[in-house]
Amino acid sequence: MDEKIILLVEDNPKDEALTLRALKKGNILNEVIVAHDGAEALDYLFGRGEDGNLRALPQLILLDLKMPKVDGLEVLAKMRSNERTRLLPVVILTTSAEDRDRLDGYRLGANSYVRKPVDFVQFTEAVTQLGLYWLVLNIPPPNTGR
Amino acid sequence: MSLPILVVDDSLTVRMGLAEMLEAAGLSVTACATGAEARAALADGQFSLAILDVLLPDADGIELLKEIRGTASAAETAVMLLSTEAEVRDRVRGLRTGADEYIGKPYDPNHVVARALELAGRLAPSAPTTETVLLIDDSATFREALKATLEEAGYHVAAAASGEEGLGLAAFVRPAAVVVDGVLPGIDGPTVIRRIRFDAALRRVPCLLLTASEEEDAELRALEAGADAFVRKDHDTAVILAKFKAMLRSAGAQAGGEIAQSLLGPKKILAVEGSESHLERTAAAVRACGYDVALARSGEEALELLAVQPVDCILLDARMPGIGGLETCRRLKDIPVMRETPVIMLGDAGDADSLLEALGAGADDFISKASEVEVLQARVAAQLRRKLFEEESRLHRAQQLQRELEAAETRAAKEIAEVRAALVEELEMKNKELDSFAYSVAHDLRAPLRSIDGFSQALLEDYTEKLDDQGRQYLGYVRESAQQMAELIDNLLSLSRITRSEVQRESIDLGALARKIGSRLEQRDPDRKVALVVADGLTAQADGHLMTIVFENLLGNAWKFTRDRAEARVEVGAATSEGQTAFFVRDNGAGFDMAYSSKLFGVFQRLHSAKEFEGTGIGLATVQRVIRRHGGRIWAEGEVDRGAAFFFTLPNGAGGPGALAHG
Repeated sequence: MDEKIILLVEDNPKDEALTLRALKKGNILNEVIVAHDGAEALDYLFGRGEDGNLRALPQLILLDLKMPKVDGLEVLAKMRSNERTRLLPVVILTTSAEDRDRLDGYRLGANSYVRKPVDFVQFTEAVTQLGLYWLVLNIPPPNTGR
Repeated sequence: MSLPILVVDDSLTVRMGLAEMLEAAGLSVTACATGAEARAALADGQFSLAILDVLLPDADGIELLKEIRGTASAAETAVMLLSTEAEVRDRVRGLRTGADEYIGKPYDPNHVVARALELAGRLAPSAPTTETVLLIDDSATFREALKATLEEAGYHVAAAASGEEGLGLAAFVRPAAVVVDGVLPGIDGPTVIRRIRFDAALRRVPCLLLTASEEEDAELRALEAGADAFVRKDHDTAVILAKFKAMLRSAGAQAGGEIAQSLLGPKKILAVEGSESHLERTAAAVRACGYDVALARSGEEALELLAVQPVDCILLDARMPGIGGLETCRRLKDIPVMRETPVIMLGDAGDADSLLEALGAGADDFISKASEVEVLQARVAAQLRRKLFEEESRLHRAQQLQRELEAAETRAAKEIAEVRAALVEELEMKNKELDSFAYSVAHDLRAPLRSIDGFSQALLEDYTEKLDDQGRQYLGYVRESAQQMAELIDNLLSLSRITRSEVQRESIDLGALARKIGSRLEQRDPDRKVALVVADGLTAQADGHLMTIVFENLLGNAWKFTRDRAEARVEVGAATSEGQTAFFVRDNGAGFDMAYSSKLFGVFQRLHSAKEFEGTGIGLATVQRVIRRHGGRIWAEGEVDRGAAFFFTLPNGAGGPGALAHG
């Protein structure tokens, strides 16, 4: 698969819109799949599509922490304990910069932790850099996605 | 094994008599006839106790005592002086020189041995008295036979021929067990056991009562008296030994703790009479009962003596030269520690006034001088018994009081611990609440701000042609406000985090920290030219993360308020204030009016309008909190348009009241 999919896990529709806008502004035109909470994210990653097959794994996951039902840290823990998703790059993209969230995020194996800036210009800048780095510059480990 | 005892007396009889008895009680003895021999013995070895005759052919016992007290190696040696009672002065001098005991001749050898055992044991509390069995029987043959059997079985035996002698020994030997014959001259076996049960120091000692075969109610009597076991005397000694061992086994588990001095110890009586012949007669009568007697010839002498030697009972002549008996009695009873000591006044027969006078002066009893010796002896015994009862019950009361006190203390300690635990729990809960409050502020308040800013920006970008200049300006204001509020939230969070976090002190180079933050400020604002001057050697014991916050705020302020200066200058250094090192950050910027200096450190307090200088009004409040958490002080000096200086101290060690986490 050449298509590099981004999985955006975000419960706030306004943040979702802003993130999508920022990606577009940064000329990152990859397909973005949006999961609106942790349960949806897990469903996408581990469930089967309409054709009965496992879905294509994303190249990058942008993960919000505070979400209803299943929160971001739980999603991360499940991913890291599953062989198929163990090495997927996960960037925590969240409002909180509290020590314990950062610590928990890194402990559970997040690849990056980015706090969403309030200033939209800065936010766009951050998202653009993230996309460039993880989708273009970064070389993923072999055999991911299969 | 305890150290030997030194006996120095020129009389061979005294020397040998004491040595034999002390050795029989399990102590080793070195006997000397002269001062010279004694000095040689003292130079050669150490002794637990020295028994010294005051009058030696070649020396003075008190001089020997002085030498012993002056020798470092003999510092632990107890000293007992023996003397024919000639002068009260000798006795006073002996006790003042540091004698532990002073016993008048003629003395009761049992008394001397008992005191010797006590004094020697005092310095060797683990002396092997625990395995000693006290055997009381008036039949010499039976006593010796049973003693031999017990010794064969590995016990050390102290033997006594009468109940009185046995009790006297028990007080000091502290036997591990007592074997007593039921039938004795004087007080009988059950009485001996009752007395032992009555004594706080001895009441847990197991007692075996030996009974005659023909006694019908022997068992009942033995149990009534509190004997742990009884055995018929006509049994073979092996049977008695077996019974004895069984008793020890069952009693072994409940050995009690050590209690203070026994109340059954030998008694010391002070006889005070003006007439030498009367004094002799009284002393002889009292001595005959086995008491140790001290003599005084006037009330003054008696008082002098009592100041250095407590006694158990005082026999006081009512009519004497000097202050006389009545006044002596009054003065005695005025001394708190003497109040409990019984005083028996000796007066003229049939004189009712004398009796009333004596009792009025505080005497406990009155006897006519013409009374029979037996009457005197009986009255003394009665007074001693009364004193014994009183001491015993006082001991009980004291013990009970002590127990109550301990119980109360335990209760109080428990209550304090409970209250403290509750407070700590409450504090933890409050901190947790604050924590989750701060967390939701951080998260939930920022998210809408991002929308406000983001969609304003989207409007500006996507709908710019539908907006006129003013519309665009308004959207700019919306964004500005959103960002300002975000900064405010961040600062408030930082402030609350400082209150909650623990201060972790380490050695910090504040100068290096200031330079690092200064260069960061320069990078952020490359158009500004600020001369940053940092003094050398600015080190402190402080929390590195918190001090970074302090300098970010103070230097950030200095940068901000020197914005309008052509030659901005910021200085970081140290000065001495009230004997303490005060670090400072000084600038030549806008300054402030000292009249408002008290408002500088309040949350949301600002001395400049947002138009002049932007800011949230939280920075200095944060700095103050950091300094307080370090137990330090912060203050500021300034003048409008002439700059400001912020001083703070960082005392070493544990912080002040701010060291505890509080809201």
